[in-house]
Parts: sequence; structure tokens; C-alpha cells
Amino acid sequence: MTGETGRVGGDRQIRFSGSGGQGLQLSARILAEAALHDGWSVAHSQGYEPTSRGGLSRSDLVLSRGVIDYPLVTSLDVLVILDDVGATASTSLLTHRSLVIVDAERVTEPPLGPWTVQRLACTATARRLGNERTANVVCLGALLALTPVCTVDSLTAALRDEVSAKLIDLNLEALAAGRALISQTAGVATPAAAPAAP
Amino acid sequence: MIPVGRRNLQGNHACAYAAIAAGCRFYAGYPITPSSEIAEKMSLELPRVQGVFVQMEDEIASMGAVIGASLGGVKAMTATSGPGFSLKQENLGYAAMVEVPCVIIDVMRGGPSTGMPTRPAQGDLMQARWGTHGDHPIVVVTPASVGEIYTETVRAFDLAERLRTPVIVLYDETVGHLVETVDVPDLSDVTSAQRKWASGPKETFLPYADPGDGVPEMVRPGDGYRCHTTGLTHGENGFPTQRPAEVEEMTRRLLGKLERHRDVIDRFETVRTGDAHIVVVAVGIAARAARRAVVEARAKGIAAGLFRPITLWPFPEAAFREVVAGADAVLVVEMNAGQLALEIERLVGRRGKVARLNRISGEPIGPDEILANIEELARHGHR
Repeated sequence: MTGETGRVGGDRQIRFSGSGGQGLQLSARILAEAALHDGWSVAHSQGYEPTSRGGLSRSDLVLSRGVIDYPLVTSLDVLVILDDVGATASTSLLTHRSLVIVDAERVTEPPLGPWTVQRLACTATARRLGNERTANVVCLGALLALTPVCTVDSLTAALRDEVSAKLIDLNLEALAAGRALISQTAGVATPAAAPAAP
Repeated sequence: MIPVGRRNLQGNHACAYAAIAAGCRFYAGYPITPSSEIAEKMSLELPRVQGVFVQMEDEIASMGAVIGASLGGVKAMTATSGPGFSLKQENLGYAAMVEVPCVIIDVMRGGPSTGMPTRPAQGDLMQARWGTHGDHPIVVVTPASVGEIYTETVRAFDLAERLRTPVIVLYDETVGHLVETVDVPDLSDVTSAQRKWASGPKETFLPYADPGDGVPEMVRPGDGYRCHTTGLTHGENGFPTQRPAEVEEMTRRLLGKLERHRDVIDRFETVRTGDAHIVVVAVGIAARAARRAVVEARAKGIAAGLFRPITLWPFPEAAFREVVAGADAVLVVEMNAGQLALEIERLVGRRGKVARLNRISGEPIGPDEILANIEELARHGHR
């Protein structure tokens, strides 16, 4: 808890939100580990309801090249919404610079405003791969393609560390499918920023 | 295996690793949100260092087991949250009375009662000081970051051992569940504090005699020193007494021993308080928001500063009085209905205005809100 500045240029604030059990904490943990590997300082906070599944769940990351004085998000660069339960919960943290990634199937009414909304078929893609529960990792792949906060290699390594061995192939497929969603989607937010396919 | 070096670490995990690094080898507890990760980590790590982890039937028994283990000569701890902290209070008072070193972690959630298990609050600030009955000594430390949970947990064990007192490590759910990139120090070569063991002639040994610094020597089981341990008011020989002079002397020593060691107990952080006209006081996650608010207020030309008690009780009042000597307004920011403000109002007295910013909704207080309150004070001439 040192550092004298408020939010500095180059910091990133990212929120994963949705319904408890969708792997939102896992997504943030994987991205946090990858970001650490790539030299970021990380603050990862969370909010969830006292239920084993369901309810509003969120997982937040503040990434900084310096010291993080205040570890909670104050204005989001990226908001991921994977379920309607999270549709309006974070609107006060959005600005015209925010990118909002919503699941095309489970979010029927994305927050409306001067920000960019990207509707992506995360759940449908995960289902096609054989396990709907990998929608969070599909989304992570898409997020990386839209805003490359870390390298693909670091994210892949973090994924391998966090996911059990018997599910790793499925998750690597999900990650690749998520990245492919962006290269296939017309009118993406930042297509030029997407890294090359492996 | 205690991780060292640069890594992402959760506050509660930092607490568990720090405890083991400080030499803790006994944990008894009853898991409760938002402290459960401490029990979980201790259950994995303690057996690896030949320590003992016991999941007890409830919080009352947990506190009893911790006291028993410590009397047996082992550094011991438990962890809980508000509802469990309430249950521990009777045995906590016993530990303070018979002077048993132990560490209690209270990760604060929304209250009162069962409250909001997963939401942050700072509603136990006064319970940590006055939760058990009677005048009693207690040390409470309040870390505000993952790194500080590590260092303060280590310090909690050191203070407990050196001063023969329960030490409470008190932090909010936000800090407990927060994962931050930290540099975990390698403490394997550091010798953490040990209690003073009974020495000298066995025949004349008095287990509660003051050796000069207010902290009696402890009897190590098996060393052959006679000892009697009771929560009844006792004399130097450890046996119950109601003789007024003896009671007065023993109780004054018990209460006074912390005052005699303020040099190692008091700890605080100040940010730009040197010329501050408005001093913000906060702990935990609220203090981190306050730090940013103070920096932003300075950028707007307002002479604001932050006083952050790291040791909450006994309150580092000498340092605080010095900081506020030149200020004319103090803003107390707390995630409760106003607890620390009572102590601050006592210390500031009539010399300045004490304003409050409180939140009891289960949400943290953000930097913008604190800044707005600082600006409001500045508008009224406190600049």
C-alpha cells in the first residue's frame, strides 16, 4: 500500500459478471495469473451471494504497471456479462471508453449507453464444443483478442495451471474458439488489436 | 510449503502462511465465511510442518483448544468472523486474564447477528476492544492489504508471545478475499519472538510475579515449576484472591503491561499529515480509498492527510494527537454506523471538528465519496 497516485495511464479495470457457478472467479484468476507473468501488478476482488450456485456473482481485476493504491474497480475498461442477472448491476461503472462483452444467448438486455457492446455466442460455442460450462473460457479467448492485456502464451500457461488435466484439452479448444469468434465477427471493437492466431 | 517471491496471493491465504512462518503449530477452528480460506490453508499446511489442525465442534471449543495448546507451549491461533467472534469472547477474556499468548483472526462481514456472510463491513471495531467482560488488556491490529496481512499476522504472534496476551488480527471481507501481487518475504532465517520461560529456583517461583517489565514468565510443561491457572482473580502465586490490595496490584499490572510496551505495540501510517488541515482516519479497505482521496484532494489544493492506525487497540493516541495538533477537522471513514469516531471524538475533544462518513450497506466506501466529503469540509473553511 504505497504509491501516491490515483489511477494512472495504462491501468486496466476488468469485471466478469453473471450468475454464480459460471466460472467468473476462475476466469479472473486465470487472467490474473497470466497478467502477473507478463509483468502486471494485479488486484483481484470479488463479490458473490451466499448460495452455492446462482445469484449475482462478479470478479474484478485491476491491472497496473505500477503500484496499485486502491485495489477495487472504479471505472471499467471491460465489462463481461454472461447472464441476465448481471445485466444492469455494473452500469454505474461504465463510460464511453468501456467495452461491454455480453453472452448473446443468456443476456437478453445488455446495458444501453455510449459504450461499445459486443454480443458474442460464448454459450452457444461452448455447447458446440461439448460442454456449455466452458463458456467462461470461450469468453476469455474473445476478451484477449479484443483487448490483448496479456500474451496468448501466458494465458495458455495460466489455463493449464488452473484447470484439471482431464479438462485441459477442452479448455484449450474453448480458448481458441473464443479468439476465433472475434476474427470471424464483423464490426468488432478493436480488430486491429487482435493478436495473430497461433 | 510457504511461497516466497512475487506472486498473486489472497489475503486469507497470506494470513495462514504468515502464521506458519511465525511459528504457529496449532490451529483449532470452526470455518465461517469470509474467513474459511484460513482454516482450509492451515489444514493443508500445518501437517507438513508437524503442526496440528483440529476442526472443532464450534467456536467456543475452538478458543478453548487454542488456549490449551498455548498453555502446552505451542504457538496457537484460530480464525472466525463476527458470529463466531461473539462466541469466542468468554474464553478470550480467560486468555487475557490468565495471560495466554494466542492469535485470533476476525474477518469482518456484515452484521449484526448472521448479517451478510459474503459482504464486507467494519462493524467489529469496538467488539474487538470490549467484546469480553471486565477491564482487560487486548491488542488489535488492522491490516489494509494482502502484504500487510502477512506482516501483521507475523507481528501478532510476536506481540502475543512477548506480552503474554491475546492479539486479534482484524480485517474486512474485502481485504480478506482480495488477491494482490505481493513479494512474499523469505522468513525461514528469521527467529520470531518466543515467550519467556520460567527460570531460577523452583522452590520460590511465583507464576504471576512481575519480573520488572510487567510480563510474568510462563511455565513450560515438564520443566518442574509449580503453576496454578485460573480465571478467578489471582495473586502472584496464581491462586484466587479477594484481598483488595493484592487484587488492585495484580489487575493494575495486567492492564498496565500494554502501556509499558507501547514502543512495540503502536503502529500507524501517515500520508501527508505534516501540514494537513483536514485529517482522514480510516482502517482496512476504507483506508485505501481514503489514501487515494487524500492524494486527489492535494491535487485540488486542499491540505488533506491520512492517519491510518495499523494497531487499532490500544489506539496509537500519542501519534494521533501529534498529527491532529495542527488540523482543524478530522473525517472518520468507517464501514459501520460510527465506532472509531467515538475514540477520535474523545481524542480531538473541543480542539476541532470531527465529521463522519459511514456506510452500512455491505458495500465499500469509494475514493470519490471520501473526496466529496473532504471537499465539503474544505468549503466550510477547513483548509
